[in-house]
Amino acid sequence: MRRRGPGLATITAAVAAAIALALAGCGDLSREELNRGVESLSAIAAQGGLIANGVARDATKSTYTRVMAKTLGGEAEHEAEKLADAEPVPDVEEERHAAVRIAGELADLFSELQTFPGDEHHGAVVQEHMAEVKEQADAVVARLTGEPQ
Amino acid sequence: MKIVFKIALGIIAAVGGFLDIGDLVFNTQAGALYGYDLLWAVLLGTLGIAVYAEMSGRVAAVSNRPVFDVIRMRMGFGMGLVALIASTVVNVLTVAAELGGLAIILQLLFDAEFSMFVVAAAFALVAIVALLPFGGIERLFGYGGLLMLVFVATAIHQGPDWGQVAHGFVPNLHDSKLYLYFVVGVFAAALMPYEVHFYSSGGVEEGWDESSLKENRLNAIVGYGLGGILAAALVVASGFLFHPLGIEPNDLGTVALPAQDAYGETGLLLALGGMLFCVGGAAVDSSFAASYNLAQFLGWEWGRYRGPEKAPRFTFSWLLFLSLAVLIVLSGINPVEITEYSVIFAVVALPLTYLPILMIAGDRSFMGEHANGPISAALGWLYLAVIAVLAIAAIPLLLATNGGGG
Repeated sequence: MRRRGPGLATITAAVAAAIALALAGCGDLSREELNRGVESLSAIAAQGGLIANGVARDATKSTYTRVMAKTLGGEAEHEAEKLADAEPVPDVEEERHAAVRIAGELADLFSELQTFPGDEHHGAVVQEHMAEVKEQADAVVARLTGEPQ
Repeated sequence: MKIVFKIALGIIAAVGGFLDIGDLVFNTQAGALYGYDLLWAVLLGTLGIAVYAEMSGRVAAVSNRPVFDVIRMRMGFGMGLVALIASTVVNVLTVAAELGGLAIILQLLFDAEFSMFVVAAAFALVAIVALLPFGGIERLFGYGGLLMLVFVATAIHQGPDWGQVAHGFVPNLHDSKLYLYFVVGVFAAALMPYEVHFYSSGGVEEGWDESSLKENRLNAIVGYGLGGILAAALVVASGFLFHPLGIEPNDLGTVALPAQDAYGETGLLLALGGMLFCVGGAAVDSSFAASYNLAQFLGWEWGRYRGPEKAPRFTFSWLLFLSLAVLIVLSGINPVEITEYSVIFAVVALPLTYLPILMIAGDRSFMGEHANGPISAALGWLYLAVIAVLAIAAIPLLLATNGGGG
């Protein structure tokens, strides 16, 4: 299966993260807040998976897919910006980076759905990637909470 | 035979017209977050609206007085004015939420600019109200809302563990503020004050009298009862699909996903169509309710059946409230957020609407032989107690959960 390179949204999120880090003050993103953010990303990925599944099965309407992808992609980008802007407490820095990357990947996947809302092949590929991204998000949640996935 | 047919039509309209954007949002979120655990709150809310709709319809049929007439009469000008202001704020917020919901659904169907659909939806509502008689408006949205039956079919198709579903109807409490917030939200979404404002005024519009009491009872109990099944189906369908995946539905479009998952594009279109009619009907009901209340409180001529010439202030206020709602939606506030606030604020206003109805419906000197019997009275007071508790808890829960955000 083809792996996708970093898209515009990923790069934007990474740049936003770098700027935020440069401007940051003391840590204002707690482990719990970061965990909530990553759980939201996992939920968005799950929803994206269902929408992509509809496209893959040719069981949806293009307008619905496009509008939902735009909305959820916007939510993922917003989450990326929020996480990137915040200064994490020291012991979750790595997880914060992972979360920003996940949010960026999600935004890219939704962008792909927006561009190809009626393409079954793209739908299947995006569905698979959504599942992978969800797994990554769940893994970050597991690291943050110390609970197994 | 004609009366049976008329009653059947009324029931069908009540079933289809039961749901609004508040039910769609809160019930879907409740299922996603807590599986089937909040089904009991749907049942509680459905029984509550049936009890109070029947009472308000009975008062309207016997006395020809709709709810706000009764409120003014029983509570006097001062308290009546407080009730009017609270109800109007909630009703206008509700109209804005419904209008925003209409625009979102149209956007999902046709993918164009949101603001364009807000304005188009408002014009479409004005055209429908101008062209159709009162009964026609009710039937258009009521029958269209029956498309929501796709959620019942979806819930059955999913094949949930029916034992767990049945268990959800047994009241249970979690040790979580968010859970309590959803108890309040699901309950209140079923009991929005505009529903009884509209129901009783609609009874007067349709010329109900004592011969309509059976029709009123069947509409309220069977119609709202069956409507409750649609509301429960939303929780089950969402609980089955979203809960295991940890999905948090924050968008109106997500409500339709279970129907798409079960029946593909046909399911999606039926769900979006049903949502369109439910939300459109609620936009008409809530905007009418705001104008009915104002006109009844101030003693103006009112009623769709009178026409704009004979009830100009009523018609003007209706257009004014609709325009206000358009402006609120166009201000950029998310319609789902408006919905959540309107439902939670409605809880606070509920006692101001339901207490006067209960008092007048139980007054033998006013209602004669049609006053509340022991069962109606007991249910009415029981629900009023529940409403009072929830009214006190609603705002603290809204703040403690960051508007349901956890």
